[in-house]
Amino acid sequence: MRPARRPAYGVKGAPYAFLVPAALLFALFFALPIGYAAWLSLHRVEVKGLGLGSGAREEVWAGLSNYTDALTDAELLHGALRVLGYGAIVVPVMLGLALTFALMLDHERVRFAPATRLAIFLPYAIPGVVAALLWGFLYLPEVSPLHYGLDRAGLPQPDLLDGGSLYLALSNIAVWGGTGFNMIVIYTALRAIPAEVHEAAKLDGCTPLQTALRIKVPMVAPALVLTFFFSIIATLQVFNEPTTLMPLTNGISTTWSPLMKVHRDAFAENDIYSASATAVVIAFVTLTLSFGFLRTVNRRTRQEEAAR
Amino acid sequence: MPKAKRRRLTAATIAATLGATALAACGSDDDGDAEAGPAELTYWSWAPGMDKVVDIWNKGPGREEQIKVTVKKQAQGDELVTKILTAHKAGKAPDLVQAEYQTVPTLVSNDVLADISGEVGGVQEKFEDTVWQQTTLGTDAVYALPQDVAPLMFYYREDLFEQYDLDVPETWEQFADTARELKQKAPDKDLTTFSATDSGLFAGLAQQAGAEWWTTEGDSWKVGIDAPATHRVADFWGGLVEEDVIDNEPMYTPAWNKALNTGKQIAWVSAVWAPGVLPTVAPDTEGKWAMAPLPQWEAGEQTTGSWGGSSVGVTTDSDHPEAAAKFVTWLNTDPEAVAALAAEGGIYPAATAAQTTGAFDQPPAYFANQADFYDRATEIAKTTAPSAWGPNVNVAYNSFKDAFSAAAKSGDKDEFTAAVRTVQQDTVADLKKQGFEVAP
Amino acid sequence: MSSVAAPRSPAPAAPAAPGAPGAGQGRPRRRAALIPTLALVVGAVYCLVPVAWVAVAASKSGTELFSTFTFLPGSGFADNLEQLNAYRDGVYWKWMGNTALYAGVGAALSTAVSAVSGYALALYRFRGREAVFNTLLAGVLMPPVVLAVPQYLLLAEADLTDSYLSVLLPQLLSPFGVYLARVYATAAVAKDVVEAGRVDGAGEWRIFLRMGVPMMAPGLVTIFLFQFVAIWNNFLLPYIMLSDDEKFPLTLGLYTLLEQGASAPALYTIVIMGALLAVIPLIALFLVVQRFWSLDLLSGAVKS
Repeated sequence: MRPARRPAYGVKGAPYAFLVPAALLFALFFALPIGYAAWLSLHRVEVKGLGLGSGAREEVWAGLSNYTDALTDAELLHGALRVLGYGAIVVPVMLGLALTFALMLDHERVRFAPATRLAIFLPYAIPGVVAALLWGFLYLPEVSPLHYGLDRAGLPQPDLLDGGSLYLALSNIAVWGGTGFNMIVIYTALRAIPAEVHEAAKLDGCTPLQTALRIKVPMVAPALVLTFFFSIIATLQVFNEPTTLMPLTNGISTTWSPLMKVHRDAFAENDIYSASATAVVIAFVTLTLSFGFLRTVNRRTRQEEAAR
Repeated sequence: MPKAKRRRLTAATIAATLGATALAACGSDDDGDAEAGPAELTYWSWAPGMDKVVDIWNKGPGREEQIKVTVKKQAQGDELVTKILTAHKAGKAPDLVQAEYQTVPTLVSNDVLADISGEVGGVQEKFEDTVWQQTTLGTDAVYALPQDVAPLMFYYREDLFEQYDLDVPETWEQFADTARELKQKAPDKDLTTFSATDSGLFAGLAQQAGAEWWTTEGDSWKVGIDAPATHRVADFWGGLVEEDVIDNEPMYTPAWNKALNTGKQIAWVSAVWAPGVLPTVAPDTEGKWAMAPLPQWEAGEQTTGSWGGSSVGVTTDSDHPEAAAKFVTWLNTDPEAVAALAAEGGIYPAATAAQTTGAFDQPPAYFANQADFYDRATEIAKTTAPSAWGPNVNVAYNSFKDAFSAAAKSGDKDEFTAAVRTVQQDTVADLKKQGFEVAP
Repeated sequence: MSSVAAPRSPAPAAPAAPGAPGAGQGRPRRRAALIPTLALVVGAVYCLVPVAWVAVAASKSGTELFSTFTFLPGSGFADNLEQLNAYRDGVYWKWMGNTALYAGVGAALSTAVSAVSGYALALYRFRGREAVFNTLLAGVLMPPVVLAVPQYLLLAEADLTDSYLSVLLPQLLSPFGVYLARVYATAAVAKDVVEAGRVDGAGEWRIFLRMGVPMMAPGLVTIFLFQFVAIWNNFLLPYIMLSDDEKFPLTLGLYTLLEQGASAPALYTIVIMGALLAVIPLIALFLVVQRFWSLDLLSGAVKS
């Protein structure tokens, strides 16, 4: 079955050919819409008179005014700070747990691995439509089993949706939902470690803990970098968790996170122009932080490789 | 009262005559008929059971007219307006859209809704003026036909009011006293809650107090949120929250449902649709509720606001505006259609004649104890104050949520006063940003 | 100790568990590692508590939902199921089918795109490699919220809105999937095997299909799983694209049950039941997928 017809491309052309589908899809469904959004961010609507009837609205050039509005918006800055505080809890806890669970799943003598793996992944699969009900039932003092228990025990019942606890309540949702996902990423990477490596480690007399920390963790470093990268982005674009809790409490405003403000502008106030500008700003901050992280990590690995 | 009674009788008579002629009028009337059919129309609606009502059209009058309507069920909410605007931008909006009254100016301002005044001559008199004016925006154009109205009322637990020996408040002052009295007699209970997430309810209460949040002066809009009427309402509720005699947590949460179900909260300021909502919100309380008119600011007055209500409009993207207008007219004025809307969708019709048809002979199942429920509802609906919506209600509503959430959380009456000003400022700033002329 | 490593390498060198189809099965029971097992069980319980709420709440009748203790099972399971089934002549099952179609076809194609792109980025050194990679990754920087409207307008130009394709196409490229595929390909595809293939005269595409894909298989099923769930749960894109509720996916359909306007009750019990049933296919998928993680990455493809 050796093919008589060789492909038109050789080894040199192959990667380009392989990347054609991705490039096409990217151009159509990412680059074009992003470009359009960027264009929108430089425009605004100009209304004439009472703004009723046809022709009353016109899209006009706005220059950078949407950007200056976004950058001088104190609420957006506050949102960014809130998100950073939230991320400072979520990212380390979630990824720490994900890595721990993944390593334990990979442990040779662990029991119930398939069942616990499924259980930890399952939250990722719970549809968002019931999330507000779900967390309402778990967080609101009148219906929460936690408060019921505290009440029975005669302990004070905290308001989970206010002040500092709010961050914990939000983080809990994110950690609950995201740990399994990241765990699977890392776990799959662990499965790719050749068996010989384990054998060698054992022959060297490594304990399972040593094997995990000194051999497995460095070997799945690329997967860890990936989970970090996407966690940073997910944090900066956090939207679902606070939106879920918003109708339940007076403690979360419609602009709690920057992306909530984007969503509000675009989908509740029909101002896609400001929304696009704010989104571009968020994208730039995300770019700086997430790609900055990638660069730093890459530079360090290259240095380490060079040092070896 | 006698005046109201007479008006109702007149309305009923008109309904009888008009209702009977409605079908005939559709069939033989004007020469626009030839253009109307055949047509296939799409209709975005969120009302439950709308497909069944439309089936009646498709099998009856629609078949004669060769106008087929397909319902595409949507989820109601803020995002729906954006979805309609986006579809319109691409020229793909459906022929017909259901729209809450307060979104009509936004849709008109984006040129989504077509003026159908030429096709719906004579239907104006089937609706109360205060309702009708919401679909014309005070112009000669007609941008939609009213579908349902939602006058505000006072719902209370009859059994618990008796148990605690409370009087049904007729004024807001009595309402406050009732809240205090209950707190005194049963400290773990609340009369009701102030919900900062329900901008629509607050708007309705302000409407009752005489606020006109958006009006026009020549070619400019005037925003009247920061006005005595709104402040009166905000101060009143802020005072109750500050005194801690009512709750300050949002409605429509599992905790609120439980509070209504278990009698932790014993009253609810709500609209005529409450009997349809209570069975899922407070399922253990069937037959324990009663309805009374909304408390008044001055004794002896009879005024209410509204919370919700919607209309149906024809879009400018429609290729068959005449056919669409014909269907809308049937849907919201024909006795059979309106009866079906009430039965299938649980709506309270905007057409005045329809409010007294057979569908409303019996009280709602949940209020079997109040035989005259719909008679009273009809009376109350007539006393609805005019509402005044503008092109950025959504902005005001979001600003309300944020400002009043913070105020409710603070439990400080002054914060409520400040919140009203914030909402005014945000609303004016947004209008100016969009380029509207704003009168000072 | 070689028997312990058996599930990792069913290669001839490992004598234990011959022919065992998956990990753990047929393996002699050994003393369980206590701490890892305990930690995993605690983690599982933590994750299951809210999930259990969905199951418990689905068993409650409308009356019980807001009155009985949050975790006390109710008596309405059969009723809720029946109501869900009866709702608009069983449109729920139509939504379920739609979702399976969107997620199944979408995830399969998306995995294919990710695989071929990730393989190319991992195995070849070519000019602009990092630039291509970073550009693809940059696709995630712009929040999907602001892309939905432009995507709608774009597809409207092609007259594709309100169609199955309008939901499928924008989700075919997943920067996350490409990145993941690259990581897995780097780790799992042995370069010497690829070289050997070239020496044998096989074309690049053939090498990718015959050697690359099998070696990447465990990673690819992971990508498939993630994409499947991501599409399964996506809300905004179908919300904007679709107007015909016969084409709705589950999330959107259930949302219309919650948001029927102020005057209509939110059908909580039906929605919760719908959400619970929606999890079942995902569990089934997970159980199928996790069998692939047990295959040995390196030996499988090379030896055969």
